[in-house]
Amino acid sequence: MAGSASSFRPALRPGQRFDTTAARRPILVFESVYKAFHADQPVLRGMDLVIERGEFVYITGPSGAGKSTLLKMVYRAETIDDGRILFLGRDIARLADDSIPYLRRNMGIVFQDFKLVPGWSVFDNVAVTLEVLGLPKRLIRSRVGEALERVGLSGRGGDPAGVLSGGEKQRVAIARAIVGEPAILLADEPTGNLDPQLAFDIQGLFEDIHESGTTVLFATHDRTLLETRPHRLVILDEGVATDVPQGLGHGEEPDSRVVQFRAVK
Amino acid sequence: MFDSLFSSAQRAIRAGKADIRLHVLSVFSLAVAFVCLASALLIVVNLQAIQTRWSRAGHASIYLRDGASEDDVLSLQRALEQTPGVLDTRYVSPSDARKQFLGDGVEGSLASLPIEAFPASIELKLAVDITPDAQAAIVTKLLALPQVDSVETYERWTERLANLVSGGVAASGVLAIVVFAAVVAVVASTMRLAMQRRRIEIEVLKLVGATDQFVRRPFILEGAMQGALGSLGAIALLGVLFLMVRDRFDASLATMLGIKPVFLPLPVVLGMVGIGAILGALASFAGVRKLSAV
Repeated sequence: MAGSASSFRPALRPGQRFDTTAARRPILVFESVYKAFHADQPVLRGMDLVIERGEFVYITGPSGAGKSTLLKMVYRAETIDDGRILFLGRDIARLADDSIPYLRRNMGIVFQDFKLVPGWSVFDNVAVTLEVLGLPKRLIRSRVGEALERVGLSGRGGDPAGVLSGGEKQRVAIARAIVGEPAILLADEPTGNLDPQLAFDIQGLFEDIHESGTTVLFATHDRTLLETRPHRLVILDEGVATDVPQGLGHGEEPDSRVVQFRAVK
Repeated sequence: MFDSLFSSAQRAIRAGKADIRLHVLSVFSLAVAFVCLASALLIVVNLQAIQTRWSRAGHASIYLRDGASEDDVLSLQRALEQTPGVLDTRYVSPSDARKQFLGDGVEGSLASLPIEAFPASIELKLAVDITPDAQAAIVTKLLALPQVDSVETYERWTERLANLVSGGVAASGVLAIVVFAAVVAVVASTMRLAMQRRRIEIEVLKLVGATDQFVRRPFILEGAMQGALGSLGAIALLGVLFLMVRDRFDASLATMLGIKPVFLPLPVVLGMVGIGAILGALASFAGVRKLSAV
């Protein structure tokens, strides 16, 4: 369903012609990305990172290391100070403001605090992604139904979002993120507000979504998750990103920075 | 286009229901502002109706000099009756004039006025559709006759009313500016407040790729609906008040004024509702111009 290599279509602007070379490019490339909120404390110091299509990548690091900032730069809620971020070959750091909505239509975003509209029903909270695209009502109904089924909330569309449990709210948020069949799923501490069992369930959902071909960037500081379901790991600390391709839990000794991070944790 | 408008309307209705108290309060405030303007317009409309009626009163009085003979009067009457626009003539002798005057209940020193104080006159009944120019031409010709002292066409009353009406129009214009400013302020404030209350909704919309236009559209529709409902509410309230007053409007007063009170004409009503909607939409657009930066 979500984003097989041949079906992905970057839609940075309405009516833009499909770029056939985009499918062969890495989905996300960070080139010497520099970002600082305070001049003496850069969050990222010339970060280089390549994320291929279909990868599952954990972003981790201590609080304040820049995990959320990195994701925000991808969906352009933050701008970079220097360098380039290429999304399917296009430098999204230099997108015009009016192109940002079209960039975000290619992404699904999940947050720690769910960001659901409490007064809306579960259906409305998920359907909003497709309403923005202007899809017909009938198609919206069927695709929202499918998305809710994937996250285990089939038949709950009429429930008010405000009365759901934390785990259910996060499932709705995930359904909203995947219903538009995004090329990449950005998850910013999606299990941060959930108890350990629910956190594993939610992580399992992300695994399922990843298996269907969607690229997943999963920011977390929960070591248990990193160890039990190992994937490529990017550790952010003191403005430097360290890439651990095999992730934790494979018996390989990560470099000194990982050890340092573990010690901090 | 229709789909997106329909979708925006649905979102506006959904949001309006969620913030119903806020919207009701806003519509009430707008209705109070609009009722002032509608009342002023109602007064102007009725004054204008009186002016129009009086300008077509179809009546003039030719006051004759004291020395005018019976033959002079008869020949003048014959000449007038053949003049286009003149329907009828009636001679009023000084004694008839005095009788009429005293018959109106005048008492005291006025009752002792001698008959010489009342000049003889010829009362003219003019066609309703006679133009002011044609009427003026008749007056000029009459004033040139030696037996005619003066001619009263009651134009001065029409002019006084016209002055009153133009003053009323000017006052309504000033009032309209004040009311429109109030409408803009109320709607813009309401929409800014609604935007704060729906921050999470706006944030979600922007995160899923909604354009600013898509986010703003329901707010603009809500503003337009508020403006339209506010003006409609004002007109409905004024309508009820008008019916209450009209039922107590004395028949003799109506006869004296020459008209029965009239309510605002449909184009004015539609114009007010339309202006309310447009102002509401513009104010709302101004209010939500700066969406939260997500």
